Amino acid sequence: MEESFSNPATSHFLGSVPAVVTEDKKTSSPEVPANLQIFPPNSQGYQTLVAPSDGGEQQPSNNWKGFFSISSYTQYFNVDTDIVLNRLISSLYPTSGDFVSKIDANPDLYGLVWISTTLVFVIASLGNCATYLMSRRSDPNTSWAFDVNYLNVAAGSIYGYALIVPLGYYFLLQYLGSNVSLVRFWCLWGYSLFIFILTSFLLIIPIEFIRWIIILIGGAASASFVGLNLRSYIQSNDLMIVAISAFVLQLGLSIFIKMWFFA
Amino acid sequence: MSHSDTIPLHPSSQSDIDEIENLINSYPSSVLPARPPSPPRAFIPISSNPPPPPSFIPSNLPPPSIPKPTPLLSSAPSVTSAAPPKPPVPPPRGSTSTSGIAGSGFGSAPNTLTEPVWDTVKRDLSRIVSNLKLVVFPNPFREDPGKALRDWDLWGPFFFIVFLGLILSWSASVKKSEVFAVAFALLAAGAVILTLNVLLLGGHIIFFQSLSLLGYCLFPLDIGALICMLKGNVIIKVVVVAFTLAWSSWAAYPFMSTAVNPRRKALALYPVLLMYVSVGFLIIAID
Repeated sequence: MEESFSNPATSHFLGSVPAVVTEDKKTSSPEVPANLQIFPPNSQGYQTLVAPSDGGEQQPSNNWKGFFSISSYTQYFNVDTDIVLNRLISSLYPTSGDFVSKIDANPDLYGLVWISTTLVFVIASLGNCATYLMSRRSDPNTSWAFDVNYLNVAAGSIYGYALIVPLGYYFLLQYLGSNVSLVRFWCLWGYSLFIFILTSFLLIIPIEFIRWIIILIGGAASASFVGLNLRSYIQSNDLMIVAISAFVLQLGLSIFIKMWFFA
Repeated sequence: MSHSDTIPLHPSSQSDIDEIENLINSYPSSVLPARPPSPPRAFIPISSNPPPPPSFIPSNLPPPSIPKPTPLLSSAPSVTSAAPPKPPVPPPRGSTSTSGIAGSGFGSAPNTLTEPVWDTVKRDLSRIVSNLKLVVFPNPFREDPGKALRDWDLWGPFFFIVFLGLILSWSASVKKSEVFAVAFALLAAGAVILTLNVLLLGGHIIFFQSLSLLGYCLFPLDIGALICMLKGNVIIKVVVVAFTLAWSSWAAYPFMSTAVNPRRKALALYPVLLMYVSVGFLIIAID
């Protein structure tokens, strides 16, 4: 009776899928009884799926319940206040490339979302202040005019940069063969923007020369943070060009911030 | 709660539909329809059963203990033996002893459906005022600040957001419509994002209740914006905005902080502070 499960005579029925049981499997282990606890019932294949609890361990941190369910995103926000503060402080050290090892077990998107949002607000508001102060130096009678357009440009550029650049690098590196994780890239670029928040406060000083110094130092720090961490994440030396391009892009962002908002 | 209703409301808060259903179930009186009812489409004859409750969806409610229905589409003959033989004109719908289940009306629900508009508006306004008193004003008798707004609504937040956008738009000297758009988008999207943030951090809140609460906490900033529009001095603006900002944050703090794990309290509160600071900055900066 059990033999008929493995080789049913129903293959001729319309729409039925013929059972895939090859002859060599039968001859190699002819003594194995058909055991309906495993699949396929008659062979010794697929043994790893015997216990359902093992299946959950194969991807330890992925409980994706669907695109529109909030609980599938909570795994990326599983951080406490002290962890976030620790990561923020370590993003200020541009020369140690160990940030990726810190976030490897538990990358979070909280930093990306709220650092970029804070940065948008800070550069829009302080940019207005700084422009006003600069124009008052040259012409003492200018009145304060709040340009709401700064918010639009800030939001577009910062959110666009923080979302699209890591995505681009993810696809590039997947194409080039290394196995990278998009969430860690987003986390890395998100925390790299923190230093711009601090430099924006310093950029209000209405002296052009000092502003350039400040933005170049801040931009270089952030860019080297990104570059070094990217290099230590990829761990293969012929992709150095990727890390250098990330460095250059981050510098470009810093110069854009200076020129558009703090002119 | 409003005490000016003609029928006392159930002590706990309910939506309107629940209120209607409870009124129907507790007051099985019926209401004469405004027009002669249409001929019943389906009759399920009952012998001496209690009358079925009037239902909203007439075709779905045969009383459970009746025999099989006789052929449909007849207007009279095989009707209940309890009622006198009906003339071709359908019996008056005034009594629920009729077995016709087509178009039997809403029972006593018209008390809120046909009440004057002013009564509805007054009820909503009083709910807004009571929610405001609960959330925003210092109230030593507030039983648990973390559970504010059991009777939440979204009219209040809507008014406050639009009012703030209008004030900012009026105060702006250039690009008025852009200012309104930015303010409205910032506040509305900000409330949604703040709620999502708490949910993502593993907190437990009800989505619309949180939206409602964040909208009500804008009330002090509304007052601040109004004062800033009327008095143009920068120093006064800064002082007023700082004060109202602190007030808004104080009002929102207990709710947000009790919704998440205490180790993540700052993570949930920081975005609230960010949003109110940005709105405050907009109020100061727009002139």
